[in-house]
Amino acid sequence: MNIDIKTKDEQNIILIIEGVDVPFINALRRICMVEIPTMAVENVEIYKNDSRIFDEVLSHRLGLIPLKTDLDSITLREECDCEDHCTSCSVSLLLKETGPKVVYSGDLTSQDSKIVPVHDRIPLLKLRDGEEVELEAIAQLGIGLEHAKWQPTTTSAYMYYPVITIDSEKCEVCAKCADECPRGVLQFDEKENKIIVLDPEQCTMCKTCSKDCEPSAITVEGREDKFIFKIETDGSLSPEEVITTACDILAQKSDKILTFK
Amino acid sequence: MIPIRCLSCGKVVSGYYEEYKKRTEDGENPKDVLDDLGLNKYCCRRMIIAHVEVW
Ligand code: SF4
Ligand code: SF4
Ligand SMILES: [Zn+2]
Ligand SMILES: [Zn+2]
Repeated sequence: MNIDIKTKDEQNIILIIEGVDVPFINALRRICMVEIPTMAVENVEIYKNDSRIFDEVLSHRLGLIPLKTDLDSITLREECDCEDHCTSCSVSLLLKETGPKVVYSGDLTSQDSKIVPVHDRIPLLKLRDGEEVELEAIAQLGIGLEHAKWQPTTTSAYMYYPVITIDSEKCEVCAKCADECPRGVLQFDEKENKIIVLDPEQCTMCKTCSKDCEPSAITVEGREDKFIFKIETDGSLSPEEVITTACDILAQKSDKILTFK
Repeated sequence: MIPIRCLSCGKVVSGYYEEYKKRTEDGENPKDVLDDLGLNKYCCRRMIIAHVEVW
């Protein structure tokens, strides 16, 4: 298996993975989506809520705020010895505000400086003059299989690596394909009098080019052993953390099958 | 109030709405603002452009 990092920033990564098959990469994709633990608000104790937003709706909004997650410092709920929640399996975020104001995710005070909302400007509720809100939101680790708020990825997808072939004997160099391509992958080269493929990685395999080619000179196919894999995270974990944790989980699962008696 | 996340993909969109609103009201092209905010997928873009703040 050969992995190339094509582009990478804080929340996105695009990898070119070669030498694996579809079941493998799909397993990785699904683990990235729904089996990696992240932090999210699971219980909310509301002491006071004068606003027009219902307690349930407010709790739901709190649950959807992505929280920066440090996987080493928090224990999974199932693995903790406590009965409900304790400091090793949960983090409390406190909120106490008086109107008039819009309350934002940045107004939450976390008891753990490492586990804080990814975004500060998520509007949670609006308070009118004199209205108050006071609550404690308890965040715990969980996985996307249980609830989508624990999904670390907002994109986790792969596509076959496109291969564009132009049969130079059949091609009449009408340049129709280059005009039709919506992604600007093909270009008519006047000097050489032929069509050149600029960047196959931009191709979406829509096959518009081959549909319009009368002599059927151009074909677009996907390789089944090379993939473009894209991950975008909600900021709770970095894309590298997501991929490496997914690989660890896949390895553990494979071990379980190998040692099954 | 704008939903916290995109209903289709789950990306946080609510944190960008105020900035989008302000910048478009100041005359910027909505497309450029959305591109600049990193809202590249059309599911997330519709969350922002279709939202009407009623209360
Ligand atoms: S449309 Fe077909 S014949 Fe025309 S330039 Fe493209 S590949 Fe060649
Ligand atoms: S399949 Fe679509 S995107 Fe790819 S080269 Fe042909 S027209 Fe362009
Ligand atoms: Zn505990
Ligand atoms: Zn979206």
